[in-house]
Amino acid sequence: MDRSIFSLIEVSIWAGIAAVGFGILFNIPKKAIFTVFVLGLGAGLIKFILLGLDVNIIIASFTAAIFVGVLSMPMSHKIHQPPVVFSIPAVIPMIPGYFAYETILSIMNFTFIETDSIKRVELIDAIFTNSFTMFFILISLTIGVSFPMLMMRKNTVKNMYD
Amino acid sequence: MNSQLKLEKTATLLLEISSMLMVSGANTNRANLSITRFASVLKCKAFSMISHKTIVMTLTDDETGKSCTRVQNIPPYIINFSTISAISKASWHAIDQDWSINQIEDEINKIKAKKRYPKFVVLIAVSFAGAGFCNIFGGDYINMAVAFFSTLIGLFVVQQSHKRNFNVYIRTFLGSFFASSLASLGVLYNIGESPQTALATSILFLVPGVALINSFTDLFDNNVLNGMVRFSTGLMTVLAIALGLFTAMIIFHLN
Repeated sequence: MDRSIFSLIEVSIWAGIAAVGFGILFNIPKKAIFTVFVLGLGAGLIKFILLGLDVNIIIASFTAAIFVGVLSMPMSHKIHQPPVVFSIPAVIPMIPGYFAYETILSIMNFTFIETDSIKRVELIDAIFTNSFTMFFILISLTIGVSFPMLMMRKNTVKNMYD
Repeated sequence: MNSQLKLEKTATLLLEISSMLMVSGANTNRANLSITRFASVLKCKAFSMISHKTIVMTLTDDETGKSCTRVQNIPPYIINFSTISAISKASWHAIDQDWSINQIEDEINKIKAKKRYPKFVVLIAVSFAGAGFCNIFGGDYINMAVAFFSTLIGLFVVQQSHKRNFNVYIRTFLGSFFASSLASLGVLYNIGESPQTALATSILFLVPGVALINSFTDLFDNNVLNGMVRFSTGLMTVLAIALGLFTAMIIFHLN
């Protein structure tokens, strides 16, 4: 692992802060703020530990999203909120914005700037790698968050723990 | 009350609830579920077609068998998870305590009157999120400060243009342009260890996360049309972000 324990915890805390920041942008109820922070932090911790173990970023995001999906169910029952309220803000820090950025940048370079044919081939490679990574991370985040619901074939967590 | 009048009133209320849910960023399945729940409390059956901008609903009274069809336009989307949560809670209370139509109406009006977080709180919170993103992608503390202020300016521009009723994609473009211009200064003067990271993360607050996630949940629920619509709006937003970024990069001669 190339990250020390301290930097791992620090980066996870920032992931939690990012989750809360987006939660406030989406106007989550005040009661849910702490839960969003914990879920965002936990998801960040899992993702960065897996990345440190050289796991593919798509698998790592998927695992972290499943963690959010599974944990958000008992939590939503406890504080009486529907699970989407904190599962979506918690996975927002994992949204592949950086890959989207790289994709668009490569496309723009390819279209407007680069003329050297070898470099253009490299750009095509970058466009495909980044855009497909982005696409698969998005799908895995969605499946991960809704995974418990899909498995239990239920539409609501109400009455599930009674 | 006359049964026809009551039916019409119920239909209007249910349409109001479902359009509130769609505007607040619930997926189509949740909007449908909530309508069914409230309708069962009011002894009716509701069948609806929910699209991105319009809801069509036919309501049938269980006792008299009369029906009534109404159409409602959905206003522009403003994500508000508190509304989703409050309506979900209200629907359960309504079932448990067998609410009347007036009780439901009062509760919905109460939910509508609830205030959002003040604008400066949102500004600060989202700016910290931008700094957090910068840390996640490996920026140092100086880069994080650059990301913080770029996000702050970008979101401020978005809020102000929202107040002036600009088109949503123009808003996103302006926000992206101002945020990335500020972060480009960081690259130009080589501030911090990796100024490129600050540039890449300064625009992440605009990424349409809810639209993209909801688009896939809708696709999973076989609400294919709504899923595709949400994906397209997400894509349009990403394009607007990229255009803003690209304009800033051309102006500051960055490649």
